Amino acid sequence: MSNPLRYDGKVVIVTGAGNGLGRQHALMFGARGAHVVVNDLGGNIHGGGKSSAAADKVVEEIKALGGQAVANYDSVEDGASIVKTAVDAFGTVDIVINNAGILRDTSFHKMSVDDWNLIVRVHLNGSFAVSHAAWPIMRDKGYGRIVMTTSAAGIYGNFGQANYSAAKLALVGLSNTLAQEGRSKNVHVNTIAPIAGSRLTETVLPPELIDALKPEYVSPLVGWLCHEDCKETGGLFEVGAGYHAKLRWERTRGHSFKIGRGFGPEEVAKNWAKVTDFKDGEYPTNINESMAPLLSNMSAKSLGGNEFIDLDEASKSEVTLESSYDQRDLALYALGVGAANNPLDDKELAYVNELKGDKFYALPTYAVMPPMNAMLALAKEGKQPVKGFNFGFERVLHGEQYTEIKLPLAPKGKLKSTFRMKAAYDKAPNAVVIMAVSTTDETGEEVAYNEITTFVRGAGGWGGDRGPSQDVNVPPAREPDAVVEEKTDPNQALLYRLSGDWNPLHVDPAFAKAFGFDKPILHGLCTYGHVGRHVIKSFLNNDPRRFKSIKVRFAESVFPGETLVTRMWKESETRIIFETKVKERDKVVIKGAAVELYEQIPQRKAPTKAVAAAAAPAAASGPVSADVFSAIGKHLLANKGLGDQIKTVFQFQLKSPDSSWYLDLKSGNGEVQQGNAAAADVTLELSEDDFIAMSTGKADPNKLYFGGKMKVSGNVMASQKLGFLQKLDPKLLAEAVAARAGSAPAAAPAAAASGPNSADIFAAIGKHLATNKGLGDQIKTLFQFKLTGPDSAWHLDLKSGDGAVKQGDAASPDVTLELSEDDFIAMSTGKADPNKLYFGGKMKVSGNVMASQKLGFLQKLDPKLLEEIVKARGAGGAAAPKAAAAAAPAAAKPGRGGEIFAALQQRLGSDPKAVNGLKGQTIRFNLKSPDASWLVDLSGPAPKVEQGAAGEANAVFGIADEDLVSLVKGEAQVRDLYQRGKLRVDGDVRLAQELSVLSKLI
Amino acid sequence: MKRRVNVIGVGMTKFAKPGASPEYYEMAKEAGTKALADAGIAYKDVQQAYVGYVYGDSTCGQRAVYELGLTGIPVVNVNNNCSTGSTALWLARQAIESGAAECVLALGFEKMEKGALGNKFDDREPPMGRHAQVMIDVQGMSAAPPAAQMFGGAGREYRFQHGTRKETFGKISEKARDHASRNPYALFGQKLSLAEIMASEEVFDPLTRFQCCPPTCGAGAAILCSDEFAKKHGISKPVYIAAQAMTTDYASSFDERSLIKMVGYDMTKEAARQVYEAAGIGPKDVQVVELHDCFTANELLTYEGLGLCPEGGAEKFIWDGDNTYGGKVVTNPSGGLLSKGHPLGATGLAQCTELVWQLRGTADARQVRGANIALQHNLGLGGACVVTLYRRD
Repeated sequence: MSNPLRYDGKVVIVTGAGNGLGRQHALMFGARGAHVVVNDLGGNIHGGGKSSAAADKVVEEIKALGGQAVANYDSVEDGASIVKTAVDAFGTVDIVINNAGILRDTSFHKMSVDDWNLIVRVHLNGSFAVSHAAWPIMRDKGYGRIVMTTSAAGIYGNFGQANYSAAKLALVGLSNTLAQEGRSKNVHVNTIAPIAGSRLTETVLPPELIDALKPEYVSPLVGWLCHEDCKETGGLFEVGAGYHAKLRWERTRGHSFKIGRGFGPEEVAKNWAKVTDFKDGEYPTNINESMAPLLSNMSAKSLGGNEFIDLDEASKSEVTLESSYDQRDLALYALGVGAANNPLDDKELAYVNELKGDKFYALPTYAVMPPMNAMLALAKEGKQPVKGFNFGFERVLHGEQYTEIKLPLAPKGKLKSTFRMKAAYDKAPNAVVIMAVSTTDETGEEVAYNEITTFVRGAGGWGGDRGPSQDVNVPPAREPDAVVEEKTDPNQALLYRLSGDWNPLHVDPAFAKAFGFDKPILHGLCTYGHVGRHVIKSFLNNDPRRFKSIKVRFAESVFPGETLVTRMWKESETRIIFETKVKERDKVVIKGAAVELYEQIPQRKAPTKAVAAAAAPAAASGPVSADVFSAIGKHLLANKGLGDQIKTVFQFQLKSPDSSWYLDLKSGNGEVQQGNAAAADVTLELSEDDFIAMSTGKADPNKLYFGGKMKVSGNVMASQKLGFLQKLDPKLLAEAVAARAGSAPAAAPAAAASGPNSADIFAAIGKHLATNKGLGDQIKTLFQFKLTGPDSAWHLDLKSGDGAVKQGDAASPDVTLELSEDDFIAMSTGKADPNKLYFGGKMKVSGNVMASQKLGFLQKLDPKLLEEIVKARGAGGAAAPKAAAAAAPAAAKPGRGGEIFAALQQRLGSDPKAVNGLKGQTIRFNLKSPDASWLVDLSGPAPKVEQGAAGEANAVFGIADEDLVSLVKGEAQVRDLYQRGKLRVDGDVRLAQELSVLSKLI
Repeated sequence: MKRRVNVIGVGMTKFAKPGASPEYYEMAKEAGTKALADAGIAYKDVQQAYVGYVYGDSTCGQRAVYELGLTGIPVVNVNNNCSTGSTALWLARQAIESGAAECVLALGFEKMEKGALGNKFDDREPPMGRHAQVMIDVQGMSAAPPAAQMFGGAGREYRFQHGTRKETFGKISEKARDHASRNPYALFGQKLSLAEIMASEEVFDPLTRFQCCPPTCGAGAAILCSDEFAKKHGISKPVYIAAQAMTTDYASSFDERSLIKMVGYDMTKEAARQVYEAAGIGPKDVQVVELHDCFTANELLTYEGLGLCPEGGAEKFIWDGDNTYGGKVVTNPSGGLLSKGHPLGATGLAQCTELVWQLRGTADARQVRGANIALQHNLGLGGACVVTLYRRD
């Protein structure tokens, strides 16, 4: 012991010091210069008896060691007397070790009040009494050390020790508070939970364990905690058999219910996993830290909500969804809402005939579709466009709709719709939510604004605002100024749903029944489109461009085929109130409705914006390596002394395009130079692109290295010091790019080099084969290429040896690839993916299709080879002009379905046996290219074959006209067409096998 | 003399979608730690480890089990496509049965990417080239995910033979979601109606999106040991492997122009036959099955392959509810690959975990009453099929 810890002159009280731990503590202090009060009542371990022998013996032992000690025989409950002994003998008290203890072990149901009281008196009251008597002395002198003795039984509980563990853990609480009260007076209080062989444990532990648990192994911790150098206070320690450890409280992150939102035992149960999950736990050390999460939860009051609607989350949610549409979508929508019912009405043709150019108009009500469709697409995944809306789609009814046109919709466009919650009303037990959706076009200008009001079944009841309830847009008492009556088609919903609302409620009779409707109902928004048109027809002469807004409430469902009667009242030049009824049932289906008009067609607010946006990207081309090095130079100036710190010269060899730079960070501030360093510590070789990616934090240097994309030579470990590159201020880089762009307009590299043609590529492949010997042996395949526009044929013989490239056709190719010259070039220069060309129908592959997978090497052709060849060709002669591929678009082929089904009708009529297995069945054919629908009804006495007929079918066959012709002619088999997906079958697929009835009809 | 092989500890992670999981070795650590705790043994008692995964560079297996300890034991990396997990189990079973070891760990994990499966190496012959050629010959190739084309094509073939309704396939997913809603480890906890399943986007006729298993991340583990080892560690009445078989492709996969055969119907059938024969019982004795429902079409085919219903009888079996609680046999109580998720390397061990819980009677809300014989079927294209029969006396 080079520098032993001493307690010279310190006065120590050790209670229960006649035996075991207390005796050991007393001996330790006595041997190290302290004046010790050896307190022991001299009783047995159960608190009975009394004698002075034990204490006296320890006093003798201390004196024998050369120390000073006095005995005290009082009960610890008489703490004042014990302290008085110390003061009388040694003048003060510096250290108190509350060690005395007894046991009254018994299981709780057998425990007597005496058992309880005695234990509490000795352990808790005793420790209190001694500490309390010593406390003013310690405070006055500004020094004190107190140790409480608790137990694992108190910390963790132990069978049969209810009284003991309660009293023991109480000491931890006492110690925690005394530590805080004593801190400013240099009075430190700690607690130990020792395990040692003593009179209290020898009855329960085996002898060999008692030996290992010597009291000598506990006293050193007590010694350190009581030394004047030790700053520890308020600590709790487990100690024994040489083991020392500190304990602390741990708390889970927990779960906070928002204040202001009710919660009951159900919610607690639901969040139990979170309440009890110690992952990322925290360690509060005082009351303030304990309170922190409570306080922060109290300060964040909830807006309300429940399991269906979380208003806190919803009020913050802002989700943007993208969509696009074109003329076809607009025309299909117009048909879906009943427009152009009379195909000779030129005014309504404006919604469906895109050939009208600038007289082709979008119906204003279409503006609800992009957000609605984006929302329905999300609904398919079970999601809502507003976070915090946790209710399912099945609870929702569309209640009201408001659409405002900010700009007449263009014939096509890409739109972004941003969803927010405008309001949520608690109509307990139901809820009403209003989503506000702003839709912008490519230029960022708002083109439409929608408010979608939905009624959410069973989602109310959080005690929130019930919302406004007065009626709006009430029709005046006079006769309407205009009335439009229009019958919807029986298949109106089927047509309308093609615009995006897939909800089976509108198409599936069984589904509709399950929702309590006799048959599928019309979409509310389909009715919406109808009534919008009625107003445009009546008041805008069918020119929709002054249409500003429309607001309706959906009061009742409409069934397809019913007649809509819209009655309209012109309230002012710009406002029309209306109401719509279903004629057949005399029910109001649309109410609280109004359309507002613009006085003039609205114009784009910021016509310059689009130009600016278009111009912007051209200017800001990305950084090049020179920019990065320039930025590094500036970084070195701004962060002086990097050289002294890093002490390394880095050489960079960049490729494509090639350049050399070095970074001299050997000493001082460091510098950046172009070219090669005289003596680099480490050299890094990588491509220009990878270097830029690495320096802008987009690529990880280690990954580049391990991925083989960066070669490092010299002192490899030094490359680890390049981390600072990733901390380059992006602003520095942006400045460097801007400076370059400003000083020298970007050279146009494209102008110099005319691109390669297929002959160049095959020449490059030839060179590739020469430098990569043995590819034939490896690939073992003969590839035939047939290129078009201009046409050429090549084959790549990689059957064996090194392989060869030849113009013309091979005798027996393994696989033949047909594609255009341009696509071939794109594929070989890595600009097009062969798989995509194949699946996109741009490349036809015949023969061994899988062999085409081995063409991967094409994409690894060295671009330099190709460059050289193109250059050589440019020098040698003019490039062959490309043949103008200006084939006229093929005229649409007329279908032969009519002919086939006429023949079928004749066959069925004349040959009763032809019906065969189809007897009693009805089958539908949906033909494509050109589209047509035929119903073959064999359920009645006479076979019927009708075009476009409605009705149920046992099986529906979807097939292209062309494939039907092949089937009829016997050139294709039913099974084969089906397996290839060219014949689709819904319903009873077995009826497909009866299609032999069609054979040889033409 | 073959020795009996006991499964004394199992564990798995909650399955997660790609991007939402921890690192693969952390998932492996969780599953392995749970299995060891379940067995009540320490890692130092494990003498060998067989570790399965499909996506990862070589020796991920070591990286994973090193989390459990560095005891220098043999670690074998296993890669067998979708049947990787049960292949690790097969090797582990062999090690115990042969007397080569007393206690081994079979572990599987996968950290998958979003989207459909694809090849990682594009400069060499793809392993499923011959399988794909059969499909191309029979039905061509489309832009749909290749696996969906293969299994969907098998579904088409089956429909054409048996006149099966499209909804019959959807019904399997409805059941899978229902089962998964009782499984806290499953990726998809929400039930779906048949209408919702049928209305989801078509992936490859007759399969809709909700009939395809999702890419998933997760891990599973099992501890296997001999009778002597179990006795020494005071483990009584453990679940044991009554029989197990692995098959790979037969000529029928390629020669019959049949997609049903190409996707491994005969592998399933033969592996099942071997297992029933070795155990001396038949499909009627089985009360609970975890089978390879990567797509609904494959679950339907597998009912017949395993003999749970007669050939051509799957449609009736499904609509009669014989594949779920209250029926003849409970298939995929865990929710299966469709709803619990399909982390390739982990799937075989997650199936094992579920069945061990079932046989111990600790499967909570999913418990099949009185289950004492359980069957596991795990299939990988390329191909391999492992069928395992578990019992508890």
